[in-house]
Amino acid sequence: MSAGQAGSAGTMHFTLKIWRQKSAKDAGRFVSYEVSGVSPDMSFLEMLDLLNEGLIAKGDEAVAFDHDCREGICGMCSLVINGQAHGPDKNTTACQLYMRRFQSGDTITVEPFRARAFPALRDLAVDRSAFDRIMAAGGFISTNTGSAPEANSVPVPKPKADAAMDAATCIGCGACVAACPNAAAMLFVAAKVSHMALLPQGQPERERRVLAMRKAMDAEGFGNCSNEYECEAACPKGISVSNIARLNREYARAALFFADHAESGKS
Amino acid sequence: MRCLVDLLESSIAKKISVALAGILLVGFLAVHLAGNLFLLEGPQAFNGYAEHLANNPLLPAAEILLAALFLWHIAAALVTRAQNRKARPEGYQSQRAKGGRTWGSRSMTATALLLLAFLIVHLKSFRFASDRSDLYALVMKDFQNKYYVGFYVLAMGALALHLSHGIQSAFQTFGVNHPRYTPWIKRTSVVVAVLLAAGFAFLPVWALVAGGAR
Amino acid sequence: MTLDAKVPSGPIEKKWDKHRFDMKLVNPANKRKYDILVVGTGLAGSSAAASLAQLGYNVKVFCLQDSPRRAHSIAAQGGINAAKNYPNDGDSVWRLFYDTVKGGDFRSREANVYRLAQISSSIIDQCVALGVPFAREYGGLLANRSFGGAQVSRTFYARGQTGQQLLLGAYSALIRQVGLGKIQMFTRREMLDLVVADGAARGIICRNLVTGELEAYSGHAVLLCTGGYGNMFYLSTNAAASNVTATWRAYKRGAYFANPCFTQIHPTCIPVTGEHQSKLTLMSESLRNDGRVWVPKKKGDTRAPESIPEAERDYYLERKYPSFGNLVPRDVASRNAKQVIDEGRGVGTTKLAVYLDFADAIRRMGENAIREKYGNLFDMYEHITNENPYKTPMRIYPAVHYTMGGLWVDYNLMTTIPGLFCLGEANFSDHGSNRLGASALMQGLADGYFIIPYTLGGYLSQGPLPKVGTDHPAFRQSENDARGRIDKILAVGGKHSPASFHKRLGAIMWDYCGMSRSETGLRKALVEIPKLRDEFWKGVSVPGGGEEFNQTLERAGRVADFLEFSELVVKDALERRESCGGHFREESQTPDNEAKRDDANFSHVAAWRYQGAGAEPELCKEPLEFEHVHLAQRSYV
Repeated sequence: MSAGQAGSAGTMHFTLKIWRQKSAKDAGRFVSYEVSGVSPDMSFLEMLDLLNEGLIAKGDEAVAFDHDCREGICGMCSLVINGQAHGPDKNTTACQLYMRRFQSGDTITVEPFRARAFPALRDLAVDRSAFDRIMAAGGFISTNTGSAPEANSVPVPKPKADAAMDAATCIGCGACVAACPNAAAMLFVAAKVSHMALLPQGQPERERRVLAMRKAMDAEGFGNCSNEYECEAACPKGISVSNIARLNREYARAALFFADHAESGKS
Repeated sequence: MRCLVDLLESSIAKKISVALAGILLVGFLAVHLAGNLFLLEGPQAFNGYAEHLANNPLLPAAEILLAALFLWHIAAALVTRAQNRKARPEGYQSQRAKGGRTWGSRSMTATALLLLAFLIVHLKSFRFASDRSDLYALVMKDFQNKYYVGFYVLAMGALALHLSHGIQSAFQTFGVNHPRYTPWIKRTSVVVAVLLAAGFAFLPVWALVAGGAR
Repeated sequence: MTLDAKVPSGPIEKKWDKHRFDMKLVNPANKRKYDILVVGTGLAGSSAAASLAQLGYNVKVFCLQDSPRRAHSIAAQGGINAAKNYPNDGDSVWRLFYDTVKGGDFRSREANVYRLAQISSSIIDQCVALGVPFAREYGGLLANRSFGGAQVSRTFYARGQTGQQLLLGAYSALIRQVGLGKIQMFTRREMLDLVVADGAARGIICRNLVTGELEAYSGHAVLLCTGGYGNMFYLSTNAAASNVTATWRAYKRGAYFANPCFTQIHPTCIPVTGEHQSKLTLMSESLRNDGRVWVPKKKGDTRAPESIPEAERDYYLERKYPSFGNLVPRDVASRNAKQVIDEGRGVGTTKLAVYLDFADAIRRMGENAIREKYGNLFDMYEHITNENPYKTPMRIYPAVHYTMGGLWVDYNLMTTIPGLFCLGEANFSDHGSNRLGASALMQGLADGYFIIPYTLGGYLSQGPLPKVGTDHPAFRQSENDARGRIDKILAVGGKHSPASFHKRLGAIMWDYCGMSRSETGLRKALVEIPKLRDEFWKGVSVPGGGEEFNQTLERAGRVADFLEFSELVVKDALERRESCGGHFREESQTPDNEAKRDDANFSHVAAWRYQGAGAEPELCKEPLEFEHVHLAQRSYV
């Protein structure tokens, strides 16, 4: 397993058109790079590592891109590859996209997630803290440590628990925003609202949660949902747009009937 | 009041209102088409139906409501569109769909603009015509102009596309999405969209080709 | 010097209750006068920050990533243990305690482990209340499964994403406090140094990873919840940014580092495919519940697995350990894989793998049942390897996964620096020399939700702390040191990337201080590491500046610390001339190649004290006594 024990250098070659931008203040542009020696078993990020190794050896600044777990769960990677968030594969993050998916000789365009609510930081890295602010507005169940009832005191029907889990698998990467023609954040918010609205534990704050999160979402400057469903197609965890329907339902119900309405958004 | 403020400020409320107006407009189109079919029966039937409508005391109120629906549907969609553009100031070099969008959803703005143009021409030539004493003749005159008919048919094509996305999308917006029913809703939307558009488009084509009811 | 763990007196089952009563409390009105700095937002950090903020403390939280939700706890797959005994199969606090001490090969502190077992049930309650969608039975109650090394079903899970769901639960609690203004969140910050003023931890120096600026934060206590140092091996299941910097800096400011050589090699990872590989992906150990591990009986057998008849397969774990079979603890499973591979019986193109076969389970339960249980893991495997595990057996190989070593902490989770606490994987406390499956999540959350809220109060209530602001000279000192290190790295101007040094360090560590360690190998590592370190400081290339977003600089700083830290790991491994848990010394094994402990000489925690640059660190010992779990050679036969 140590370096050098296994495998051989790859033989694939690519032309990369990568978005370079020094900082939020600077204008960005595409720069073309050639990268050779790519193995089909490399992940897309390992291919970028290879490019960066070459750049660093030459004394050039490496291409900045966000990544961490490299196993498709942390939601840190955020590349638009040939016009598609996380690249061409379904249910896949960029870190789990393998170069065998491409043809040697291909030109690959790599851009950051683009949205007003995701301001650029450097090169391919953007600031997605808007999601955290939406969560801070209501994406929680208010249970202080120590005050929880015995875990089995509230049964949860398995189908409900499964549906909540389906929604809760959202990794918060923002691909839904990146892929949405309108840069809307509905799938993310819908996943969070659904997860908690489906569970009995989420009921006490059900209305105020959806109202507050909707408000925070709009305040961040995301676009409006127009049911194009590109979010679902791009979501690396396959979160269904049926969650957006649930969000719409939850919102309508709360907006029409919730009494503590004016207070929403404050805790 | 609170509701109205929310409506303007909230992306979801706005979207529900656009969908609601849209679905009501689809209802209007169905009634409108049923009325148009009187053309097939000849001048007496059609003009009789028109007169019957005109004498209905509820007509002005219905017209105002209809105008409001159209205006809201258009205005809110325009605001939405503007906000969406602002939401992504720096566009992608290439943005490739991953399988969510349809022809209908992609072309919503284009079909909407074409339908708006059609609506203006349509209102001008029929609703606000200078002499509405023989509506049948008025209609037939336009329906025998091949350019007008071409434009009409094109607009109905746009209507089909617009509704193929619009109807099923409205269900999603109202929160109706269920693995059992949604595929059915999607198919039915397309069928209804095509039937409505074909129904409307049939009449001018029929008038042009067959020369109307003899 | 011997260390005092401050374990409360009295019977083990009463210690924690007694201690909670004995500690003084902080007046509710005074809590808001205390600033607490929490570094890291994994399970330990998030749960601690949320719980402390709920109590009224002012909490500042720091993380490397762009959001606290991304900490590497998120990648834990299998589950979390708790002594709920829902399945009625004989579990109890005592049994969980016993299993954990034994699983840790008698190198953990009994009192800590007992407390962990006691708290385990409350963790599940808390998580469920926070909306963690644990797996459930059709009756609506929580489901359990048995997990590597346990003979009872005490593991709670959320598909193969338990860590994600637990972390999102803790994150939601944290983010609620951010919304309420009780927590100030600082993302994309890397702690580069600790500030110790007047003998107590009073602040940290961070680098803002976006602007490159150094920032100083002062507080009344600092909690390091910065995870493990498995990335020292270059290839591990850790996230790319996981590092030792925060704890290493604390070590250099006076915190003792305990048992650094206790690293865990996880038996079920996807094997390496080539030189390019940047990380290893874990396949949850839960797979061993239904998968059978085997290799061909014949050496160098190149046949496809399907065409190797049953009689020519060696299900070596089932053969050697009939009662535990495929569920032996991680260290045992890993070492046995290495053994059969060293015998030339490895499989796949690289021969660095063994099979994990589901054919029997699929025959028994049907493909759908297997999909229901492990669907996402199977998909992940297929995605990475391009092979369908429903049809052909998985290939697995051990990989560095967890580090049991960490900063030495007492019963209160406080390090040897007053006011500096260490939680979760970053501390050394509960897992001894081998962590059992599904125990890491339990420990991280126990520390954060249920221990630190009490023990931090116990510390703060001991008396007033002098006022120390960021203008204190100690802050200037730490900040200058941090800046000096950055400038020094930038000034090298060599030709080789930080990653290239990291890779070479990883190779040294894996070869000489990996699954099996020998005196000669370790001594060799002690020569190689300083040599590599010298090369690093002469040859590293970091293009770009310090005052900007510079990921190469971040990496270089982490690699520089690994290059220092790894030497301590090797020293510790050399010093511990016994085999225990994940630490296998070739010189100390039983006739059938099992790890052989030397309780007479090594029944202690080895905690290392920094004595200045160039000076040998001092070894301090905390003797371990086993009153309740009797020392015995582990046997899983």
